[in-house]
Amino acid sequence: MTDLLVLHTLRCLGFTDPARVADAAALTEADAESRLIDLAVEGLVTRTPGPFGGWGLTEAGKSEDARLVAAELAAAGTRDAVTGAFERFLVLNPELLDLCTAWHMRPVHGVTEVNDHTDAGYDARVLARFADLDRRAADVCADLGTALPRFARYRERLTAALARATAGELEHLADTTTSYHNVWFQLHEDLLVTLGIPR
Amino acid sequence: MTGIRPLSPGDPAGPGVLGGKGHGLVTLMRLGLPVPPGFVIPPAACRAYLRDGTFPDGLDAAARDLRAALVSVRSGAAVSMPGMMDTFLDVDPRSADLRAAVEAVFSSWLLPRAVTYRELHGIPHDLGTAVVVQAMVSGDRDEHSGSGVAFSRDPSTGARHPYGDVLFERPGTDVVSGRVATRPLGELEQREPAVWAALLDGLDRVERHYRDVCHVEFTFESGRLWFLQVRPGGLAGRAAVRVAVDLADERIIDRATAVRRVSARQIRAARTPRILITDDLDVIARGTGASPGVATGRIAVTADRAARMAADGPVILVRPHTSPLDMHGLAAAAGIVTTVGGPTSHAAVVARAMGKAAIVGAAGLTVDLASGQILTSGRTLPEGVLITIDGTGGELVAGTAETTTDESGSHLDRLLAWAASADTALSP
Repeated sequence: MTDLLVLHTLRCLGFTDPARVADAAALTEADAESRLIDLAVEGLVTRTPGPFGGWGLTEAGKSEDARLVAAELAAAGTRDAVTGAFERFLVLNPELLDLCTAWHMRPVHGVTEVNDHTDAGYDARVLARFADLDRRAADVCADLGTALPRFARYRERLTAALARATAGELEHLADTTTSYHNVWFQLHEDLLVTLGIPR
Repeated sequence: MTGIRPLSPGDPAGPGVLGGKGHGLVTLMRLGLPVPPGFVIPPAACRAYLRDGTFPDGLDAAARDLRAALVSVRSGAAVSMPGMMDTFLDVDPRSADLRAAVEAVFSSWLLPRAVTYRELHGIPHDLGTAVVVQAMVSGDRDEHSGSGVAFSRDPSTGARHPYGDVLFERPGTDVVSGRVATRPLGELEQREPAVWAALLDGLDRVERHYRDVCHVEFTFESGRLWFLQVRPGGLAGRAAVRVAVDLADERIIDRATAVRRVSARQIRAARTPRILITDDLDVIARGTGASPGVATGRIAVTADRAARMAADGPVILVRPHTSPLDMHGLAAAAGIVTTVGGPTSHAAVVARAMGKAAIVGAAGLTVDLASGQILTSGRTLPEGVLITIDGTGGELVAGTAETTTDESGSHLDRLLAWAASADTALSP
């Protein structure tokens, strides 16, 4: 049987290395890599060598993932709940983008300049608004987790990213592959794929 | 001051009562410029409504007095909060929809995005917003109608000519949406010479009044121009430096004012590397600069191609928009261009996180994934062709381009000399 956990995790990550697949799917890196190799044997994923290389889905992998995810949703019978949560997610999405922009750029005396993170007060205000957004996102994630259990992992990953940023590792808001912004976008991609909505 | 006030050139109230948009409209009327009739519900009425649900008296009567078939209902806080609150168009002023629209605009003061905007810009949360209700003018009425936005000077360079976007036979919402390819403002001159002349006259008058570069929104309906908004200032970096020096040369402001207007931060921003704009520069398209810097590389239209091509030299990834699925391409590319989306889009956020030059919303470009090329009106650029992008000014040019950190050099030198002779320290 096709390994939907790893296939779908890679589908939402896009194109990446086994370490990130392992992190997103809560597996060890060795396990993730071994399962990616199995999927490659099935012709569903492929590895591109080179300095910017990594693992990605083949066209066959994309259609197989879409088919399996649609079947999973149909079996769960929770399309309406996922659709409702997606609509609420879309209300929060522009706010998340505003906050990421505010994190990178800040208006100072009429000039939008790169935020050099020397003004702790400004950074604290952005972080506080992230935390406020996260509280509202938690409700959406909870509903998604009830509708389809695999969505529960996003809540854990978002919480982990925000906790690290709050603890002072500020790059975990919007500047790393495991940042709040990145996990949020994988959730966005996952919702689109799950509901069969083209981007 | 909760009472409804007609938009009138004689109203002496300031932005605290009329809101920023309403105050600008009254100023336009005072300058003799055409503004659709309307009225303002002051921010105090918003505060009362949000406090205890009190709704201002006289809405129906004020709406009746407009004698308009349809009206627009827009927010207008004393301090500009662009795009953060609700706007309603084509509302029937004789229906319950009007009151619902006003209540929705009041309530939109508390939308989380608006709260975030105020937090980050240091705007007090207890101000409330004014509501501006005006007779609708339609940019899509007939072939002599349209909408646009215009700066009185080029916002990228500060050069002394109007710059903006126009759409023929379309409403203003399409111009600002970023989803429709706009036309350069100058096309108005050929197609609607009377509208063009009226617009130039209006831009000149608002500049002289505000003694600064101005930004206006306008609609023309059946060949007649209407101004819908005016906002002074807002330029950054070298454009701000050049405008301050030029305005002093034109004797619209004095030199001390020019020095006061430009902060040390503006001067630092003026020194960010930029493409050197010359007459023979082959500018293919222009978008919004979303992440500063200049990058040269070969066009790639998919993330996969960008990742592969990057092994042989720098690549510029050109996409309609980007998503997490493009991360490897974004990582491999030297610069990023998208044809839709604004400065808060995924591409812009990621480019800034990675410190790469990026242009977003280059609406004059089409990415043809099937043939692997990018198209503009009249030309085709296949994958692999060398281009250069400027993530500050938003220019995309063919081939390589010279860069400069002091294009505004002569302007900057003069401003600094004025500052030294006046012994006026630059503000921070």
